[in-house]
Amino acid sequence: MTSELTLGIETSCDETAASVVTSENVVLSSVVSSQVDLHARYGGVVPEVASRAHVGLVNPVIAQALVEAGVEPKDIDLVAATKGPGLIGSLLVGVSAAKALSLVWGIPYIGVNHLEAHLYSCFLEEPDLELPLVVLLVSGGHTILVSMEDHLQYSILGQTLDDAVGEAYDKVARYLGLGYPGGPAIDQLAVHGKNTIEFPRPIINDGFDFSFSGLKTAVINYVRQNPETPTEDVAASFQEAVVEVLTTKARKALVNTGAKGLCIGGGVAANSRLREAVFDICLEDGLHSFVPSRAYCTDNAAMVASTGWRRFLEDGPDSLDSGADPNLKLHG
Amino acid sequence: MGHSVMIILGIESATSQVGCAIGGHEGVLASVHSSRGRRHAENLAPQIEFVRAQARINLSEISVVAVDVGPGLYTGLRVGVATAVSIAFGLGIPMIGVSSLDLLAYPVRHCSKLIVPAIDARRGEIFHANYRQVPGGVQRISEPAVSTPDDLAADLLAHGNEALLVGDGAVRYADMFANLRGVEAAEPSVAYPSAASIVQLAHAKALREEFVSPSELEPVYLRKPDAAEIEQQKRKIL
Repeated sequence: MTSELTLGIETSCDETAASVVTSENVVLSSVVSSQVDLHARYGGVVPEVASRAHVGLVNPVIAQALVEAGVEPKDIDLVAATKGPGLIGSLLVGVSAAKALSLVWGIPYIGVNHLEAHLYSCFLEEPDLELPLVVLLVSGGHTILVSMEDHLQYSILGQTLDDAVGEAYDKVARYLGLGYPGGPAIDQLAVHGKNTIEFPRPIINDGFDFSFSGLKTAVINYVRQNPETPTEDVAASFQEAVVEVLTTKARKALVNTGAKGLCIGGGVAANSRLREAVFDICLEDGLHSFVPSRAYCTDNAAMVASTGWRRFLEDGPDSLDSGADPNLKLHG
Repeated sequence: MGHSVMIILGIESATSQVGCAIGGHEGVLASVHSSRGRRHAENLAPQIEFVRAQARINLSEISVVAVDVGPGLYTGLRVGVATAVSIAFGLGIPMIGVSSLDLLAYPVRHCSKLIVPAIDARRGEIFHANYRQVPGGVQRISEPAVSTPDDLAADLLAHGNEALLVGDGAVRYADMFANLRGVEAAEPSVAYPSAASIVQLAHAKALREEFVSPSELEPVYLRKPDAAEIEQQKRKIL
């Protein structure tokens, strides 16, 4: 049987992305056009700015993905687009483009849950990862600990009760005057700092839910009271508190579920200290750890194409009157 | 491109209504509109499939995609533009952009007064421009603008000409224009741009070869990307 090709489209937030992935999960192309520079001066993603940029970028990015994959439109068998969660105006650009291509190319369309796609980003590089797995999904919008029992079957163990971890990074970075996006800025600075300040580890021993709002406030209050503290030490100490909370809960989840390994996904999974810590705890516990390359941690369309194909085999196509859901939840 | 085989798909989603039509030199072959419940993204693709079947046209036979480029309601506008651009890209065919204000003025072209399309822009504002009747159609004689209905009323008063207001902005703010001498509002039945008008206007433009490529087509917003939103974002530090 020849390989079938899925075109994936991702426009849920501030990246316009398209990718061609085979039914054997081989990524033929993955094009990402980041709008980070457009939003940096506002200190965060401005929805209307993002939506306008997607309209101009989505087709050139799709064209680029086809060229880089070396395929023609007639070779594509399925078109998949992120249908949520995300910014509604941005989501609708990708969904509309995907449904239009489905119409004119005479191929099925499927809408993909962005969070489920992040769960599957690990499998892009290690298609044979053994299940069950624990997946820690950490980004600017989400902090979710998931038990993945089987393919497309998973349950949520815990999630954030307030700020997402990436949001806490952005807010602390903004207070420290490090600009946007905050994650990479704090990560880079922390390398030069020391973990000298004992910031709180909110609800670290209490269940699988997370809370980062109190930690963020504690950092800001500390800096207010101790303005002479080197910023790199604040960054390092904040990062250490975040990573300790995340890995402690992930470790407990591994024990509770009897999972064979731990994966991470989402933009914050690009954080160097978190990547190192995940590797370390799995080594200590004799478990498999999988940390996707940074390009597959942040938003990309390869994970959308790959997940779209899996869902298509399981559930069939979506109808052309389906839309987008900005508040779509993760459910296995 | 031979005129006899030119088939145009017209898409309109810049107001609270969404619709599409297929036609060409024979006129409009099929058209559909819906206006209930802000379902532009859900309704448009099935509508295209419906008019295609009604017109008994294969999508591969379409030679031009025409789309309402605004001004209008941003989210709906983008659904129409993203859909239209992707269809043109997917088929490798050219596009024609048509202003929503042109689309409102065109059906009332037999009126000899000043024609002023006014589209509800939300947030207490309207998109508008001035047109006058010319042989065979209308001609725009002022730049498209966004302002409060009060400002437009003051302009009309200063202008002193008899005018016909048309569009959902004229309907929504009917009270503000009701007492202006010589100013009349068109009936609500012509208050929305029609997809059939897009096909007609695009056909004329196609004969003049006023095509753009999918990468050149841009929506008309008339407002910066939401100043209020940006301010809110700046304040959202903690």
